[in-house]
Amino acid sequence: MGTLTIGLFSALVGSMNYDFALKLAEAAVDKGHKVNLWFSSNAAGSPLKGQKHLKDYSHGETPLRKLIEKGVEVCTCEACSLARGVNKTNAIEGVQWSAMHWYLAKIHGSDRVLHIGGE
Amino acid sequence: MKLGVFLSEYRADSTILQRLSPEKLGIILVGNGVYHAAIKEKGQSSQILDLKANFYALKEDLETRGLDASKLDSRVKPLSYGDLVDLIFNEYEKLIWM
Repeated sequence: MGTLTIGLFSALVGSMNYDFALKLAEAAVDKGHKVNLWFSSNAAGSPLKGQKHLKDYSHGETPLRKLIEKGVEVCTCEACSLARGVNKTNAIEGVQWSAMHWYLAKIHGSDRVLHIGGE
Repeated sequence: MKLGVFLSEYRADSTILQRLSPEKLGIILVGNGVYHAAIKEKGQSSQILDLKANFYALKEDLETRGLDASKLDSRVKPLSYGDLVDLIFNEYEKLIWM
């Protein structure tokens, strides 16, 4: 088995990149791989708690909690999140908080890296 | 190097892709990029498919857009997310997103 790190810079709703990244992460962890998921830029707005799951609408909270339960390490850029009004009190439990060095360290320790740019 | 390129948009311009010359090139069509696998314009398939590469398309993204296997260009292999994970780990060591 290997380690996959995904860096995601896209917002929760919009380009479907976010949906893709979460589904790829789940498929990889289900196959026994270790997965790291890094949020920066607009993705850093996504760990907000209390997202309403509207029908036919991108939804991040439920799949994100599921990934964390499955052992995926999810980390958000603290600066980017704070800039978008997301802080440790209103964020989804289990999301780690760090800075770019976390992402770089994970990249260096990974077998595969996929960096999904923002809008 | 074995390079996997995720193409997530349906843009006709393949200039960037033409400049890539890895030992092995895989073009993985996801999101709106799957339209390259099935849409013809003026009777012509996407020029992306003329590149010297292996082509793949995410089944889920094809189906959500009403593009079933019968509409797929024969050069493109449909993949599930599980297949995609295996492809990433077994076939392509470097990945880029476009």
